[in-house]
Amino acid sequence: MPHPNDCGRISDLTEPRQQNSTEISEAEAIERAKLGDAEAFQVLYDKHKRRVYSLCLRMTANTAEAEDLAQEAFLQLYRKIATFRGESAFSTWLHRLSVNVVLMHLRKKSLPVVSLEETTQGTEEDSPRKDFGADDVALSGSIDRLQLQRAVNDLPPGYRMIFVLHDVEGYEHNEIAGMVGCSIGNSKSQLHKARMKLRDLLKMNRAEKAGKSRAG
Amino acid sequence: MNCVELQQSLAEVEDASTWQQRAHLRTCPACAALVRELDQIVAAAAELQGADEPSPRVWNSIEIALRKEGLIRPQSRRSPLSSFGLRWGRAGWLLPALALLLLTVGLYLRQQFYPAGLPQEASFSRQDSISQPRVAVANSGGLEDEDLMQEVAANAPSMRPQYEENLRRVNESIRDLQSAADESPNDQEARRALMDAYQQKSMLFDMAMEQSLP
Repeated sequence: MPHPNDCGRISDLTEPRQQNSTEISEAEAIERAKLGDAEAFQVLYDKHKRRVYSLCLRMTANTAEAEDLAQEAFLQLYRKIATFRGESAFSTWLHRLSVNVVLMHLRKKSLPVVSLEETTQGTEEDSPRKDFGADDVALSGSIDRLQLQRAVNDLPPGYRMIFVLHDVEGYEHNEIAGMVGCSIGNSKSQLHKARMKLRDLLKMNRAEKAGKSRAG
Repeated sequence: MNCVELQQSLAEVEDASTWQQRAHLRTCPACAALVRELDQIVAAAAELQGADEPSPRVWNSIEIALRKEGLIRPQSRRSPLSSFGLRWGRAGWLLPALALLLLTVGLYLRQQFYPAGLPQEASFSRQDSISQPRVAVANSGGLEDEDLMQEVAANAPSMRPQYEENLRRVNESIRDLQSAADESPNDQEARRALMDAYQQKSMLFDMAMEQSLP
């Protein structure tokens, strides 16, 4: 399944809504931010805030934590911006930095970023159901974004982490393995289980809705 | 390959592209549906990227922290055109030159309108505090905002949104400062700020009229 963001996933961080209000080039904003220009900082923030914040929100499933982490990511960025030499895309740099901030936070909270047990065995509750050939509600039609967001929030942290990094943010398994500190195989396995679990959650959600509408 | 093996293989070959996977999917509608649904999830997941907007609290906290840490230069007052120079790039050097020119013209006009010896305070009556800045605008050839936008549209259409935004900001600022000056006619600071705002507007006109557009 090729990732829909594979083409220019990193270079396409600019939010269309912001383009009109931030016509200053990113390169210029970076140079000015290095000199301590407040407005340049804000230009960079406006350009990347949605992507960074959404990443934090998806990975933590908590609005307050996500805001704190987005704030921390940008502060770290501004503290280190003088060292940015432009060898890599600024957005790639910022995004990787943001992922690291979130991972550090999760480690501090003692949440297993990737639990091998969870990956290979899973708990009864968390593991995807093995319902081969079962008659269940089909996941027909398009998947509503809000429904998917809720389902992602309901994933166990380990599954959620890999799913967000791979399917939402577009990182490859080898990159995820490096960032998270697991094997490539583990990342692949975790991702597959996350998708299966999501499928179950989405189906349950639809079945509940269907039941309610029938009752109503 | 059976259903269990198919599902296990999807972790390694997620696009179900091996011949064994394809062969099984041709004969098993349930597994074919499973693969389709996983594809749907992957496609929908990409839409979650950058989907949420942080609250303004985040930037406020960042700005406060940056100031505390001394990472950003202190700014005395946020000008309505504070972003102007930043966005003008190579033409930015024109700003100080134009400001100087305007100041000279403004002083000259002031001398023409107010005879020598008139007490300084008298020239800043409530009425004058409103009318005097308009002299500065009239200095730009008595042009209206629409004239400016037409000029910009003719000379540099790509700059039009930027001009519109700057014009909107400076007009807002003038309105606010005018109200403040009306409420407190003796407030020298309010009058000075109002004059500054009119000068900035005048500068905007001059830059367009003198074809200093990049």
